[in-house]
Amino acid sequence: MRPLRIALTKGRLEEKAVALLEQIGCDCSAVRNKGRRLVLPVAHGRYEAVLAKAADVTTYVEYGACDLGVVGKDTILEHGGNFYEVLDLGFGKCRFALAGPKGRDFFGGYSARTVASKYPNVAANYFAGRAMDVRIIKIEGSVELAPLLGLSDAIVDIVETGTTLRENGLEIYDAICGVSARLIVNPASMKLRKAEIEDLAAEMERGVKRGNAAKELIT
Amino acid sequence: MKKNNRITPEGTRDYLFEECLLRRKIEDTLSQVFVSHCYHEVVTPGFEFYDVYDPDFSGIPQEVMFKMTDRQGRLMVMRPDNTLSIARLTATRLQNQPRPIRLYYIQPIYRSHRRLSGRSNENVQMGVELLGAGGLRADLEAIALAVESLSGCVPGFRLELGHAGIFRTLAGCLPETGGVREDVREAVEAKNTALLGRLLAGRPDCPEIRALRELPRLFGGEEVFEKASGLCAGKLRRTLDYLHGLYRALSGFGLGNRLIVDLGLVQRNDYYTGVVFSAYVEEYGDAVLLGGRYDNLLGHFGQAMPAVGFGISIDAVERTLSGGDGARAVSPADVLVFGEKGSEVRALERISKLAAQGLRCESSVFSTRAETLEYAGAAGISCVDVVAGEKVETIRFDTEEKP
Repeated sequence: MRPLRIALTKGRLEEKAVALLEQIGCDCSAVRNKGRRLVLPVAHGRYEAVLAKAADVTTYVEYGACDLGVVGKDTILEHGGNFYEVLDLGFGKCRFALAGPKGRDFFGGYSARTVASKYPNVAANYFAGRAMDVRIIKIEGSVELAPLLGLSDAIVDIVETGTTLRENGLEIYDAICGVSARLIVNPASMKLRKAEIEDLAAEMERGVKRGNAAKELIT
Repeated sequence: MKKNNRITPEGTRDYLFEECLLRRKIEDTLSQVFVSHCYHEVVTPGFEFYDVYDPDFSGIPQEVMFKMTDRQGRLMVMRPDNTLSIARLTATRLQNQPRPIRLYYIQPIYRSHRRLSGRSNENVQMGVELLGAGGLRADLEAIALAVESLSGCVPGFRLELGHAGIFRTLAGCLPETGGVREDVREAVEAKNTALLGRLLAGRPDCPEIRALRELPRLFGGEEVFEKASGLCAGKLRRTLDYLHGLYRALSGFGLGNRLIVDLGLVQRNDYYTGVVFSAYVEEYGDAVLLGGRYDNLLGHFGQAMPAVGFGISIDAVERTLSGGDGARAVSPADVLVFGEKGSEVRALERISKLAAQGLRCESSVFSTRAETLEYAGAAGISCVDVVAGEKVETIRFDTEEKP
């Protein structure tokens, strides 16, 4: 049987995920010195890591090309997919928010609003939940630009500290939901390789808890 | 305007040669099993009225159905599910038939999946429905038949058992309004224990809530029943004991540790009322077989009766058998028969004679012997019969030289 294959989201989440794996005693030297390789041994070949863009992590796991994945809740909310979401890894914390130019009454009146977002599905679900008809425009890059240029009345985006918003004269109208990194599992893998997956998830959960406890000690 | 006359729509595909052979073989193997257990084949229309598949009781979201209207403007859909069509057929056409009724089908279902997801929108399913029969014997018959069917084409599968009544009973303690039940169901379905914990926080500490919290973890082998037994009482206890009975009966079926249980099995597509079961194969990320008991479905068509059944995805079985590689050679004819001028009909007679002996014969449509031989070489046919009047000359090639 091939080693369990884990898809990691490239970038910041990868860094944290590798740190977590190392914390629970999995050797990740191959991931740290990956060069151009795409499939990397972890814990001396007990697992295999694959690095992918966030949305691709959910795709690889949904189809069973990877058994597990580490991906942000933001990606899960935007792209959906059929997989188990077994663990909140606690890192990569931020939130979805509705924001726009300071001092405007976004919810007042009855005229239809225009909203720009990199996350059109999250935005659509949020407004559908409030029974509001809005025009949603998909933007790929810096979404903050859209209300500044008059393209939209507001944006739905990920907010970490809120600095970018403040510096551009924007403020949060409503917090939509919090997001953080999650461990996801392919349903067939979960059934066929239950013991291995549960062991790894339990180790990771303990690692997350230890990490949280350590953080509390520092602060 | 750009013409789309050289491509097939997304989610559909052509099947060629060996692919068709393999699919036909799978279908033959499965239908033999079904027929030997006295299941009778039925075919339902490729499209029916939307009302047959009403999301209110089918659980099929309307956005996955391909829709059109008939001449009176009534809404029609391409068949998105076989069980509903067969329930409709049974409740109307087979009202006076002695029960139970055993039916099987081989026909495609159509569902519109997300764009660029690589999923097929057209999927041939093969399955059985045992209608007008409730209880342990009927459940056992259906599950044993599922095992026998799959054993004939995908050895090494795992069979998973669950029960729709477990979540339904437990959810009874949650308020009906505010979408709480659906939120909790989704958390259980995603095995998201953290979210489930948050959703249930602050609810009264009753046995149902405690059991709900544990539900995503209650899957695995027979030990699951022991783990769950402390959490169950009353009606739930009886459901669990029933499932355990099924498990024990089936484990004597040579499945051994390939039989698994998941008490947190809660599908969205939920007309199921009792036992639910599915089969998984290594290296295939989705279930190859899905089935269960649906005792309330026939009532929607005016003839309440208990029923149980399952469907097998022929695509999934084909994929696991062919190892996902589509490039397999086409086997050439055994004999190519060429009739010289004036002997064309004799050549066709020769073909009928050889075919009767079990050979696969191709007729040469070329006008000369030389062209025929050249074609035989190109197509890899190792034997050519040249018919001239009463005479038949057989030319053999050494096929070793050919790739």
